[in-house]
Amino acid sequence: MASPRALGGDVHPAMGPPVRHLVSAHWLLAAIPALVLVVFFALPNALLLTVSFLKSEAQQLTGEVTLENYRFVLSRRLYLDAVIRTFAIGIAVGALDVLLAYPLAYFLVRTTSRWKGWLIALSLAPLLASVVVRTYGWYVILNRNGVANDALLLLGLTTERIALMPSSAAIAIGLAHALLPYAVLTIMGGLDAIPPNLERAAMSLGASRLRTFLSVTLPLSMPGVAGGFILCFSIAISAYATPAILGGPATQVLATAIYGFMTQLLDWSIGAALAVVLVASSLALLYLASRLGSRQVSL
Amino acid sequence: MSKDRRPRPRPIVSRRTLIRGAAGLGLAGAAPNVILAQTPETLVVNTQGGEYQEIVETTVLKPFEKKFGARVVHDPTGSASQDYAKIRAARGAPGFDVAGLLTPPEMILGAREKLLEPVTEREVPNLRHCWSVASRVIPNVGVAHTLQYAAMIYNKEKIERPRSWADYWDPGKRYGERIRGHVINYNPANLLSVYALIHAAQLGGGSVDNMEPAWARLRAQKPYVGVVVTASPEAVPYFENGEVWISPYWSARSGYYIARGLPIDMLVPEEGVIGLFDCAAIPVGAKNKKLAYEFLNFRLEPEVQRAFSLAYFSSPGRGDIADWPAEFVRTQVTTEAQVAMVQFPDSEVIGQRRRDWTVRWQEIMA
Repeated sequence: MASPRALGGDVHPAMGPPVRHLVSAHWLLAAIPALVLVVFFALPNALLLTVSFLKSEAQQLTGEVTLENYRFVLSRRLYLDAVIRTFAIGIAVGALDVLLAYPLAYFLVRTTSRWKGWLIALSLAPLLASVVVRTYGWYVILNRNGVANDALLLLGLTTERIALMPSSAAIAIGLAHALLPYAVLTIMGGLDAIPPNLERAAMSLGASRLRTFLSVTLPLSMPGVAGGFILCFSIAISAYATPAILGGPATQVLATAIYGFMTQLLDWSIGAALAVVLVASSLALLYLASRLGSRQVSL
Repeated sequence: MSKDRRPRPRPIVSRRTLIRGAAGLGLAGAAPNVILAQTPETLVVNTQGGEYQEIVETTVLKPFEKKFGARVVHDPTGSASQDYAKIRAARGAPGFDVAGLLTPPEMILGAREKLLEPVTEREVPNLRHCWSVASRVIPNVGVAHTLQYAAMIYNKEKIERPRSWADYWDPGKRYGERIRGHVINYNPANLLSVYALIHAAQLGGGSVDNMEPAWARLRAQKPYVGVVVTASPEAVPYFENGEVWISPYWSARSGYYIARGLPIDMLVPEEGVIGLFDCAAIPVGAKNKKLAYEFLNFRLEPEVQRAFSLAYFSSPGRGDIADWPAEFVRTQVTTEAQVAMVQFPDSEVIGQRRRDWTVRWQEIMA
């Protein structure tokens, strides 16, 4: 059989447009988002990285290259605590959202109710309200004079009003609520991709409902679960508004510390160093998660 | 059938000319709108927002529009440091022509980084009427149009009237255990916190050059602190619901909330107070500098000063205005003699040390 080139071009007669045109179209398609990524992500991050190595004197950047900013950030318990708090909150939010979202996503995928569309819309409805509004809802509930304290006193579980916020737990609760729809959507995608015949096959071979779920459904839905966890974790570690409102200045996470240095103290060197620590450590954790995920799949 | 190849008579108006003419007419029709959109008489002013938006629009922005026939676009976003961060990030072209609410640390930084336009009496004749101390506190890159100070406020339904800054820094000594959990403290990202810490240092014989006594006082006060915030407006709900009983607070905000019925009163402690100038400046990349200079001058006009000060509960930026209401004079600074009693610590030094102070504060309060 003659090759396409032997037929007078890069194209098989049945293939339609020449292959080189398709290839260049593919490159163009990839080039546009790549350009956006370079201009709006890679370049700003490169600038941030540069600034993190510049010395700052009296709130003003100098041209002097230094490692002092990293030494400042990494040698202080305050900022190490902020790093640990940030990632602990991220992991807690990811785990909480996956646990809460899974049963809901399972129900939404499997239900045959005629209200299915409405139920899905209802579960995503929190996204219609601003995260600031939702966070202030938690502020109303958790503050010293709030509903939670009223309930605890009424039930006799406490004898006086307690400070439920500012705290890391309050931040985790607020973020878990705000990000739940993302986990629901991602896990729904994972569950929807499982052919129902596999579950039927397992049960026809004698597996109980529980065994079918544990041996078939759950393992096959893990990409969705991992995706939901990573999505919620990534958004949680970079969130600003919820930690600022429910954590306050004495319960800092990296995002609020960066904001403080960048816009309140006008010390861009330290702010940039903290931002690099956040970006680098989150990329490392995400890389680790993807490696573990691929190992899981290969097993 | 053959076509007639005789040359056609030349049209009076060629097709190309017709298209050009139509395009020209179209542009001419659109011109008034284009010119209006780019009119040099539009001024973008960044200044107070929130509950103060209406006050500044009524007493300053609208009268300016009326006098100069200009259109003022009000940008009410950001605090002083956030606004300066915008100026710096945009290399002097932040999108507003006037930064109307900077404080001395940003003015000093703006002069050093050459991101704010110089201001002299040639462009702003009213500059000569400003408080004499203003020229020492801020460099010549703007005008100090408003004076306020870090007062002390207390909940008059819960505790007796404080006398000294020591009553705030050592609340247990004056009020006993009942005040535990009802004291507020502020992050030094807010100048209010910096000024309160300077008072704490002074109580122990220190100063901006020796803040150790302040850190000792902060550690001692911490068990009594129930609320910690950064921005001043964040504290208001706690004053309102009676959770906070004693606090340093800006005199202007204090007056505003007292007038609106919050259960608080304000005072000048016996050790005195530290003053803060609100300043207006022009970023170097401002589009309408001519009108921006006019705005700075207008901001210092006596009638504008009077209207704004009375509505904002702040002291004026100049001392030659008389006939203030008696109640206003009771809490405000209206004469050079009173200004002389207000402390103005070196904002250059504060700027240089604020980061270290903030870190120290965070380490104690975390």
